[in-house]
Amino acid sequence: MKPATLVLRNITRRRSRFAFTLLGITVGIASLVTLLSLGTGLEKEVRKQADVLGAHLVVTPKGWCAYEQISVLTGETLPEAIPDSDVKKISAIKGIQVIPYLTQRTALMNQPVPVVGIPPDKMKAFKKWEIGKGEYRLDGQGIVVGHGIAKQFKLYVDQAVPIRGKDFRIRGILAEVGNRDDLAIYLDLPVAQELYGTGDKVSFLSVKVDDISQIDKYILEIQNTANVAVVSDKQLLKSVLGIVGAVGNALQLIAAVAILASCFGIINTMMTAIYERKREIGILQAIGAKRRTIFSLFLAESGFYGLAGGFLGVVAGFLFSYAAAPYISQNEFTAFLGSEQTVRLFDPLITVEALAFSVTVSVLSGIYPAWKASRLSPVEAISYE
Amino acid sequence: MSDVIIRADKLGKVYDNGYRTAALEDIDLSVERRSFSCIMGPSGHGKSTLLHLLGGLDRPSSGDVFVNGASLAGMTPSLLAEFRNRTIGFVFQFFNLIPVLTVLENVQLASMLAGAPDREQKERAVGLLESVGLTDKMEARPNQLSGGQRQRVAVARALANDPSILMMDEPTGNLDSKSEADLLDLIGALHGSGKTILVVTHSDTVSARAERIIRIQDGRIVPMAGYGAHEHPEQEQVQ
Repeated sequence: MKPATLVLRNITRRRSRFAFTLLGITVGIASLVTLLSLGTGLEKEVRKQADVLGAHLVVTPKGWCAYEQISVLTGETLPEAIPDSDVKKISAIKGIQVIPYLTQRTALMNQPVPVVGIPPDKMKAFKKWEIGKGEYRLDGQGIVVGHGIAKQFKLYVDQAVPIRGKDFRIRGILAEVGNRDDLAIYLDLPVAQELYGTGDKVSFLSVKVDDISQIDKYILEIQNTANVAVVSDKQLLKSVLGIVGAVGNALQLIAAVAILASCFGIINTMMTAIYERKREIGILQAIGAKRRTIFSLFLAESGFYGLAGGFLGVVAGFLFSYAAAPYISQNEFTAFLGSEQTVRLFDPLITVEALAFSVTVSVLSGIYPAWKASRLSPVEAISYE
Repeated sequence: MSDVIIRADKLGKVYDNGYRTAALEDIDLSVERRSFSCIMGPSGHGKSTLLHLLGGLDRPSSGDVFVNGASLAGMTPSLLAEFRNRTIGFVFQFFNLIPVLTVLENVQLASMLAGAPDREQKERAVGLLESVGLTDKMEARPNQLSGGQRQRVAVARALANDPSILMMDEPTGNLDSKSEADLLDLIGALHGSGKTILVVTHSDTVSARAERIIRIQDGRIVPMAGYGAHEHPEQEQVQ
């Protein structure tokens, strides 16, 4: 017989208590894994979208906060704020390519969908889009839709789609690009401006520079040319990731509180077990168990809760985050998770971290009860009734 | 010259839980190797306390116990645990088996604590259960056994590491007369095989089998009338 036999038999002797204690740590770890998994997916997607933007600089109206900067990446509705005169002045600067965006929303089958007004030819060259079905033609009647939107709403070429009460015809469906570009409807910029009544204004500009080493010079030049703010893609990424990280940390803190609560559950279970098994502890001591043996046996029991609860929590956490991701894409912070490949069903790093954390906190929770058990006097324990 | 295996020297035990109670005072005692001794006396007068001190389960408030010449007072808790594991087998009134383990595993427990490999533990336990007549109960749980059977398992467990001393605290206290007789036969056989037996008991049936009776009253060994002339004047020799 091995000590593990004794540990396992003892831990499962009170099955309902075992199950509830295990459930406590499972729920705590599952919530941590869910948040870590969603958070990691979110961060990956933010980085990917920043790459997809394909810009070195983003020109925004002055006074935009980080929330609006996130919207640049997510394609959420943004206020129109940069007039065409400024767009023209900035476009005139040598050594840069400028793409104006007007980002709005429409309802398609009662679901909100991003509508982006773009200069068609410039955008196609800028993004290197390819057409999947139909043709790439944006005009007063024609629109192009992303692959994901077409798939989600079962759209087809030549189908009529109403946007703000006006019927447009789908001229083409973009080939899948695997990012946010798949999830929008594209209109010719002047058509979008008229449709949404924004005059000659756009939401923001994305700028690609010919010589990246001169980027600071271009930033200054753009700021001197028009009354706008300029942020580099790295700054934008840093700013957005900062918010994503802060939100993630706050959520993980909540999960940590859940785990802390489950630790008290383990302590309570172990303390009760010691009182119930006091006489057995005395017997073990009488037949030669050393203090460190008793300590190890009880510590192993609490560690087992961490291992089993951690394993179940990891599985439940990944399943939940995978299943929940598509349903929580209705705000700017989680909008990225709407794309299918963002949240992975299994992440080895998160698994190892969560299991290590679960076992560590469970073992730490078991230290005091195990110490109490090991300090019992054999005579007191044997005489306990 | 007698071969003393256990010697108590001015042994005393005081419990102090806000109120001082002297459980044992000035106990001088020698137990000979391969002897069968009973400790008798009224309840609450210190019999079990003496057994616990002699077996290293408890620490004396004064004096010392020497087993095979080694001082128990000088041992660390870890050494004392090792000493109990290898030198002494304990049997208690309430059997005290581990309910979640099978009979076989209960007997293996002491060998496991001694660090014996699985196979050795099992071979030894099977042999011991055969010797106490419980071969057919090896996979049973303690709650599936009668009181007598449980006590025989406890004896088998006490013998797992082949200790030289067997200490029993009221081993027949919860047994019917048939089980008591069977257990006494087993104890007799163990004594015959060379074990030193020390039993705390109220039972005259048990004491009738002993070679020597040590009487305790008010925490002291009572000198026995008519037995004061020999080597251990405070003890009664049963022959």
